[in-house]
Amino acid sequence: MKNVLAIAKREIRSAFNSPVAYAVILGYLLFTGVYLYFIRGFYAVGQADLRSYFTIMPLVLAFLVPALTMRSWAEERRLGTYELLLTLPFTEGQLVLGKFLSSFALAAIALALTIPVPLAASALGSFDAGILATQYLGVLLEAAAAVAIGEWISSLAKNQISAFVGSVLALLALVLVDRVSGFLGAGGLVASFLNWLSLAFHYDSFSRGVIDTRDLCYYVSATVLFLYLAAWGLTRRKWS
Amino acid sequence: MIELRELRKSYGGVEAVRGVSFAAATGSVLGLLGPNGAGKTTIMKVLTGYHYPSSGTALVDGIDVVEDPLAVKSRVGYLPESVPLYQDLTVAEYLDFAADARGLEGAPRARAIERAIDSCGLSGVYRKKIEDLSKGYRQRLGLAQAILHDPPILILDEPTTGLDPNQIIEIRALIRSLGESKTVILSTHILQEVEAICSNVIILNEGVVAAQGAPAEIGKALKGEERIRLRLKSASGAQGGAVDRKSLGSIPGIRSVASFQAESPNVFSVEITMPPVASNTDAEGATAASAVDARGASTEAGEVIFDWAVAQGLKVLELERRRLSLEEIFVKLTSEGEGR
Repeated sequence: MKNVLAIAKREIRSAFNSPVAYAVILGYLLFTGVYLYFIRGFYAVGQADLRSYFTIMPLVLAFLVPALTMRSWAEERRLGTYELLLTLPFTEGQLVLGKFLSSFALAAIALALTIPVPLAASALGSFDAGILATQYLGVLLEAAAAVAIGEWISSLAKNQISAFVGSVLALLALVLVDRVSGFLGAGGLVASFLNWLSLAFHYDSFSRGVIDTRDLCYYVSATVLFLYLAAWGLTRRKWS
Repeated sequence: MIELRELRKSYGGVEAVRGVSFAAATGSVLGLLGPNGAGKTTIMKVLTGYHYPSSGTALVDGIDVVEDPLAVKSRVGYLPESVPLYQDLTVAEYLDFAADARGLEGAPRARAIERAIDSCGLSGVYRKKIEDLSKGYRQRLGLAQAILHDPPILILDEPTTGLDPNQIIEIRALIRSLGESKTVILSTHILQEVEAICSNVIILNEGVVAAQGAPAEIGKALKGEERIRLRLKSASGAQGGAVDRKSLGSIPGIRSVASFQAESPNVFSVEITMPPVASNTDAEGATAASAVDARGASTEAGEVIFDWAVAQGLKVLELERRRLSLEEIFVKLTSEGEGR
């Protein structure tokens, strides 16, 4: 665990020593803010409801998370520090987990900075704190899965840009795939499979304030799966 | 202590290392020498657990790199050729990370960092960001990272590239002193470096060991002959004492005349080759005994030539034994390989 934290600490230091982390977090806050207050017209609608704010989160995360994870492995490879990391006494699992933790922490920081939004709104009407907490939990879980996917793609990519583009496309596809099922009609096997795949579909109940264990399982297992894939890829490289 | 047995490593279809075996003992500096692509870096990557061997074994302090990579990695300090550094961090933060990675804590941690900074001369840039450092400082920081945890094994891939002559001298002195208590393996294609710091050399070519031994020995074993440059003066130009290629053939044991040049009618500049001297004749104490063969006749080339010249009525103006430099050996070995 100490090793995992050492890696995560290094990552976070690097992130905050460069403008990247600040820019990404600022961009995220700006976009979600503009969306809520201007596009959705929060004050004009006159409803004490932040659901619309949270329902676009999966879509926003599809851009935020790749911006945070694109560096994780692709940048190491470019700088050659990949070789350093793999020759320090870390296991592949610790490396993958350390990088996951750091990107996830950055996403969580970005998310925590949105807390003033519901706080400010709470003066205007009665918000249900339970629902709000569930919504945040949902976003965090989704972010975790997205970070795992982004890190895995970064571990395959040759450079940051392809890692970013690849992750955005993959996440967008996973977020939007449940829209496809709408065209197919809700009942079919294919449609429910597509729904089951979708990052956004599983997020839906959270945004309504409901914790469904199936959704919880989906996010946790997606996170574990992609972290495992990334670690497996690292180990495989040593033999080739 | 490092041991390789029949190590092979291929990437895709290309076999970079093709059956290399050697051992390096504690308290020695082993130099891996070879042209680019000879397999030096690959061997280092296997020893540091970055790559697994395709076949054969690599043991570090008796531990197999595949069986317990973590134990191997914690015993090894490694400076990769590309000197990987996190540009966004300061020197202090980078060493902090390295100390974390090595699990150093408390007082030993502070001491280790201080020692690394001192021996690599980094105190002036401690708070600087790595991206602002010069190439020389980066190289030294890479080395500081490698020696931070005082590892018993040091693996340095071209440790002095990018340094200026003063820094090279400093770093070589550091490596030499580290080599007194550790096992150091370094790769280089700077031949003087090997002669300056290595107690043993392995010359690699196309993934196999082309030659190995102490830098001085390796030359002797390889050249198989001694090359001697002479300037001779015949007593007087008119008489029969003049020298030509044929008359040089009367030097006892001569192998060949490599070059022959008449500078003036009675001064000749000649290069000849003689059979190698029995053993250990590099001008040190053992010389006298071994330079005399069973019959009591001298086998020392210089003496043979001198006696011959006197007998011929020639004066020896210059006599120089040309030691085959590592450079020549290197070229010889590696170009022979291409011919095959």
